[in-house]
Amino acid sequence: MFEKNKLSSPIAEFNGVSFRYGNGGDVLKDIQLTLQPGSFHFMTGESGAGKTSLLGLLYMNHLPTRGRVRLFGKAVDTLSRAEKSQIRRQIGVVFQDYRLLNHLNAFDNVALPLRIAGVKETEIKRHVSELLTWVGLEKQIRAFPPELSGGEKQRIAIARAVINRPQLLLADEPTGNVDDAMAKRLLYLFLELNKLGTTIVIATHNQNLIKHFKFPQLHLSHGHLEYIATPATRSGNTTEDN
Amino acid sequence: MTKATDIPFAQDSSTFFICWISMLMVFLSVLTLAFALITHTSVENWHKNISGSMTVQIPTFTADGKERGDLVQTDIDAALGILLSTDGVIDAQILSESQMDSLMAPWMGENASTAELPLPKLIDVKINTDQLPDLEQIKADFAEQVPLAVLDSHRLSLAELVTLAQNLTRLTGLILLLMLTSMAFSVIFVTKSGLKVHRQVIALIHMMGAGDFYITRQFANRSGGLALSGGLIGFVLSLPVMTFIAYYLGNLTGGFIIQATLSARQWLLLFTVPLIATLLAYLTAAYTVFSELKRSL
Ligand SMILES: Nc1ncnc2c1ncn2[C@@H]1O[C@H](COP(=O)(O)OP(=O)(O)O)[C@@H](O)[C@H]1O
Ligand SMILES: [Mg+2]
Repeated sequence: MFEKNKLSSPIAEFNGVSFRYGNGGDVLKDIQLTLQPGSFHFMTGESGAGKTSLLGLLYMNHLPTRGRVRLFGKAVDTLSRAEKSQIRRQIGVVFQDYRLLNHLNAFDNVALPLRIAGVKETEIKRHVSELLTWVGLEKQIRAFPPELSGGEKQRIAIARAVINRPQLLLADEPTGNVDDAMAKRLLYLFLELNKLGTTIVIATHNQNLIKHFKFPQLHLSHGHLEYIATPATRSGNTTEDN
Repeated sequence: MTKATDIPFAQDSSTFFICWISMLMVFLSVLTLAFALITHTSVENWHKNISGSMTVQIPTFTADGKERGDLVQTDIDAALGILLSTDGVIDAQILSESQMDSLMAPWMGENASTAELPLPKLIDVKINTDQLPDLEQIKADFAEQVPLAVLDSHRLSLAELVTLAQNLTRLTGLILLLMLTSMAFSVIFVTKSGLKVHRQVIALIHMMGAGDFYITRQFANRSGGLALSGGLIGFVLSLPVMTFIAYYLGNLTGGFIIQATLSARQWLLLFTVPLIATLLAYLTAAYTVFSELKRSL
C-alpha cells in the first residue's frame, strides 16, 4: 500500500494558503504547513478558529482562495477528476457531524470505503466486523444511525474513516461525544494506524488527550497557524475548554 | 431483503416513475409491434396470391347478340397499345385459340374447340408486382378508346392493400421510435432530479474517493432494474390483450385475410421489447449521470 518514494515526500504542503467562504473575510490567512509522512498532530484553536476549514483543504472539500496546496506531491488545482478520486481514496475523514448514511446500517456504513475501493465482500465482512468489535459496537452492527447515540455514531464514523488504512487520516473533534476512557481507546486506534505509517491530524478540544499523548499541535487563532512542538509548555495558554 | 444501495433510492419515489413509464411503454410497444408483425405476415400471404398478371376481356358479340367482326381486332390493337405503353406492364399478349382451348378444357373436355363459342378474346397482361401499373389511368384510357374492354383486376386491388399495409408497418416503426424517445426523456428527467435529491450523499461518497463510474453505475443499475421490472409487467399485461385481439380478428375475417398468429421468432422479437426498454433506461441514466458529474466540481 505504501510506496517508498511517496513516503519520502511530504503528505501535504501548504504554501501561502488563504481561504474564505464566498465573499466573506479570510478564514485562514497565509498558512505555511508541511505534514511529513507518519507524523501525528493535534489541531487546536477556539471554536470558529478555522480548524474544520483547514481540514477541508486537506481533503479537497474546497480549494484555497490564494496560495498552493500540494497533496501527495501533487498540486491540487491541477488534478484531473480521476486523480482526485484516487487521492481521496487514500484519505480517511472523520467529520465533525459524522455524516453517516441513515439508510445504511453500521456495517454498511463502515464498509462503504471498501466497496468504493472494490474490495471483495468476504474480506469486507471480516474487516468490518473486526473493527466494529474493536470500537465496542459488535452488538450494534445491524443498527441504523438514527437508532444510535451520538457516541456510537461517532465511533462508526471513526471506523469508516480508518477501515481502508488511509495514508492520511483527518479527524474533526472525533472524541467530542464519548467519555475519557473511550476517547483514549479511540486515540490508541489512531496510534496503531500511525504505527503502520498513516499520517494523522486530529482537531480536538480535549485537553486531557493533548496532555496525555503529547503530540505536537497545529494551533489556529484568528486564521493564523502556529506550530507548537511541546504541548505541555503551552497548555496554560490555550483556551479551547468548551 | 435486497442489498441496500449507497444512494438511498428507496426513499425517493420519483425513481418508481421509471417503473411505471417502462410498464406503459412496453405494454403499448408490444401491442404495436405485434400488430405490425401480424400485418407483415398477412401481407406476405397476400403477396403470394398476387400472380403478377391480370386479364383484359374484349367481347366478340354485342350485348344484343350480334357478331362484332373486325371491330374486335381494332379493340384488341387499341387495348394492347394502351397496356404496352403503361409503366409497370411487362408484357401484354392476346391468348391464342389453343391457349383458350386448354383454359376451357376443364369444362369442355380435352378435344373441344372454343372457336365456335361466343367467348370474349382474352389479353394476358404481365405486370411488375413491385411497381404496379396505374389502374385508374388504364381504366380511363379504356373508357375513352375501348369502352367495351373489361379489366379484371381484383388481384391487383389486393396488391394495393399490400402497399397500404406496408405503409402502416412503417408507421408503427415511427410510433415505436416515438415511445422510446419519450421513455428516454423521462429517464433523463428522473435521473437529473435524483442527482439533485441525493447530492449530499453523492458529495460524501465522492469525498471518499468514489469515481464517476462508481456513482454512474449506481444510478444506471437502479434505472435499468426498475425499467426491467416495469417492462416485464407491461409485457405480461399485453399478453391477454393480444390474445383477445387475435381472437377477435380471427373471428372477424375467418382467418382469410388476417393471419393472427405469431411465429416463435416473432415472439422472441416481442420479448426483446422489455429488454430494449431496460437497456435504454440503463444507458440513458448512465449518460445523464456521467455528463452531469463532469459538469460539477
Ligand atoms: N460553509 C461556510 N460558509 C461560510 N462561512 C463558514 C462556513 N463554514 C465555516 N464558516 C466560518 O468560517 C470560520 C471558521 O469556521 P470553522 O473552520 O468551522 O472553525 P472551527 O472548526 O475551528 O470551529 C467561522 O467564522 C465560521 O463561521
Ligand atoms: Mg469545526
